[in-house]
Amino acid sequence: MQIDTKSRLTFSGGTHPPEKKELTNESEIQQGPVVKQVAIMLIQHLGAVCRPLVAKSEQVQAGQKVGDSDAFVTAPVHSPISGKVKAIGLQAHAVLGRSPAVIIEAEPENNPPKQPNADKFTDDFDENQYSVRQICDAVREAGIVGMGGAGFPTRVKIEPNPRLPKETLIINGCECEPYINCDYRIMLEWTDKIIVGIKLAKKTSGCSKTIIGIEDNKPKAIEVMNEALERSGDSDSIRVVAVKTKYPQGGERQLIKALLNKDVPTGGIPPMIGVVVLNVATTAAIAEAVVYNRPLTHRVVTVSGEAITKPGNYYVPIGTSIEELIEFCGGVAERSAKVIVGGPMMGIAISDLTMPITKTTGAITVLTKKQIGRAKYKRRQTSCIRCGRCLEVCPEHLMPTKIAHAVKYNLLDVAESYYINACTECGCCSYVCPANIEVTGYIKIGKITLAKQKKKIPE
Amino acid sequence: MLRGLRVSCSPHISEYRSTRSVMIDVIIGLVPAMAAAGYYFRNYALILIPTCVISAMVTEWLCNVIRKKEDSLGDYSAIVTGIILALSVPPRLPVWAAIIGSVFSIAIGKMVFGGLGANIFNPAMVGRAFLTVSFGALMTTWTVPAPIDPAMPRISPENTIHARTQATPLAWSKEVIKGKCETKVVNEQLKATFTGEVGGCLGETSAIALLIGGLYLLIRRTINVHIPFAVIVSAVAFAGIFYLIDSEKYAQPVFHLTSGGLLLCAFFIATDPVTAPLTPKGMWIFGIGVGSITMLIRIVGEYPEGVMYSVLLMNAVTSLIDRFCKWIPAGGKPKL
Repeated sequence: MQIDTKSRLTFSGGTHPPEKKELTNESEIQQGPVVKQVAIMLIQHLGAVCRPLVAKSEQVQAGQKVGDSDAFVTAPVHSPISGKVKAIGLQAHAVLGRSPAVIIEAEPENNPPKQPNADKFTDDFDENQYSVRQICDAVREAGIVGMGGAGFPTRVKIEPNPRLPKETLIINGCECEPYINCDYRIMLEWTDKIIVGIKLAKKTSGCSKTIIGIEDNKPKAIEVMNEALERSGDSDSIRVVAVKTKYPQGGERQLIKALLNKDVPTGGIPPMIGVVVLNVATTAAIAEAVVYNRPLTHRVVTVSGEAITKPGNYYVPIGTSIEELIEFCGGVAERSAKVIVGGPMMGIAISDLTMPITKTTGAITVLTKKQIGRAKYKRRQTSCIRCGRCLEVCPEHLMPTKIAHAVKYNLLDVAESYYINACTECGCCSYVCPANIEVTGYIKIGKITLAKQKKKIPE
Repeated sequence: MLRGLRVSCSPHISEYRSTRSVMIDVIIGLVPAMAAAGYYFRNYALILIPTCVISAMVTEWLCNVIRKKEDSLGDYSAIVTGIILALSVPPRLPVWAAIIGSVFSIAIGKMVFGGLGANIFNPAMVGRAFLTVSFGALMTTWTVPAPIDPAMPRISPENTIHARTQATPLAWSKEVIKGKCETKVVNEQLKATFTGEVGGCLGETSAIALLIGGLYLLIRRTINVHIPFAVIVSAVAFAGIFYLIDSEKYAQPVFHLTSGGLLLCAFFIATDPVTAPLTPKGMWIFGIGVGSITMLIRIVGEYPEGVMYSVLLMNAVTSLIDRFCKWIPAGGKPKL
């Protein structure tokens, strides 16, 4: 099959930050640190907070469920290690502030580390040996959530829903965020596992069409995926499509626009237009959960950035503290300026390194002062000169400068009239702003303030 | 282990571009026009441009001191205002008048609104308008360019008074409309207006220099194509309609394009992002407004040149245009 490696499929707007993929794209998925202690956040997803199922000083086994909830939109959490519950208390969280967590102390003697390639998957897998019900239950019990970053419970997404029938399943292998390579390595190394997961998700969601969208800066991944699909004889029903390399191509709304030329309604979700989008790491987790009955306890994390001594892609138990992971990677090479959970465009800068890795943490990026740039480091801003660059790059076709200034002067009704809630917070506007205004920052603040005013979130 | 970590909103990286670099681009774009001014008007250009730039910068600094605000000279916008003002005044404008114009540009045109980004009107045009109403005679006294084109025999150093008052090609075209002169005289000057060997404001005479500068800005993507294109197309269309109606009475559309301040306006004045609309649709409305009001003044009105007034008029309605050209999100209006 001829692979189109220079793709024109894309959305309008967007920007081209330096990709910096070369730091870790050749590094194979390696065994992560052997942890002494993990902190399992009781909320690692969108939806209801789990309540702990274990008590202090209780003995837990690797893979045991430690938190769950009765709500529909939720996902249980599991312990990646065997050990003793040290405490159930508050733990720093990058977004939610201090949140409840179960802290488990490992017992080194009965803790063989989980290998990244322990489970074997073959290309002659038949998804029909599992019923839709079985797959849904397995996905729910394994606590699988969208591993691309949003963390929406996968069961809710792929479950058949008569009100919103789904036609197209899109597998997101774009990874448009600079520095990150975890999805790329998964596509190269866990190809068969991903295809098994795709087949299971396809069967459950009832989609007739499946498209794997990969940015054209990853020709190797496109090739490997195509070969594997031909081997398993699925190349007719599952297509690999290259999309243009541009940030934020990996946003689900942007990927749908590029692949299907459809717009998801503002404030809506993809199923409204019959689409389900799953990240490649999520499909791998589905395969493990259904075939080997393994809960989601480990994930691949890219540790990268110019300040890291040994950048690479690591298979890390969920709950490992970021500090431990950075030390495992040889610590930082020079005086670092920012530790970011995620990539530099959408990630969250943290100062408390005891925060644990969660199901949605795809990367830890440590940047130096030089990478951040002098103006950004010192937060020097000038007034908006209304150059309109933020409008040009906005993938959602918004007017970021108008929204940001409305929020700045506390005119939230004006901000709403410019559709503040349609913002996906991709950061393109702040990235291009010559006046160095934190456009995205203002919009985020405005969104939170509005939600608080409308009592959508508690104070 | 790690100390002094910074925490801030995402994104944590940014493009290498600042307000200053945008302004430097505009200054580079103005270099050909300044060079042409220096070539044709020699020492007048050498005096006027630095005078305007320095007095604009001093005014900005003083205003910031009085307002107790952080110094904003570093964004170089005062330099751009100074250069554009210098390029849009007659070469023989006395130094004191140039200083008054620059001070007014910055102080009243920009700083009273709150500095860069808050002004409603293009500062340089505000200054020029002030000079026009205050020193009308000085602002319409034109000088002969240094290398005199033999195609224009009536403009000569011997006939200075006559030449100074009537030297600009647009003044000729006005005479033509009034029936005091033949169209041929005007259309013959087309080549001269292209290279710049005509009378006129310091930086507006040479169309080729302005086109080179404008092209640079377009390639660097410092300005968008919408406004220059809209200004030029609408002006040419407007002049073209009149030319088709009566080619004896009205000058060629291309003549209108290359003479006067139209190109300077299309590439450097109307494109001032602060005083122009944000959306492409708004930019088109703005550009068409500037182009057609300019031609309306030139052809129907009493003044030979109308760039300054058309820009100021359209600046006044910019926020209104912005309001009418609001974008709707890619996913459509949200359902309530």
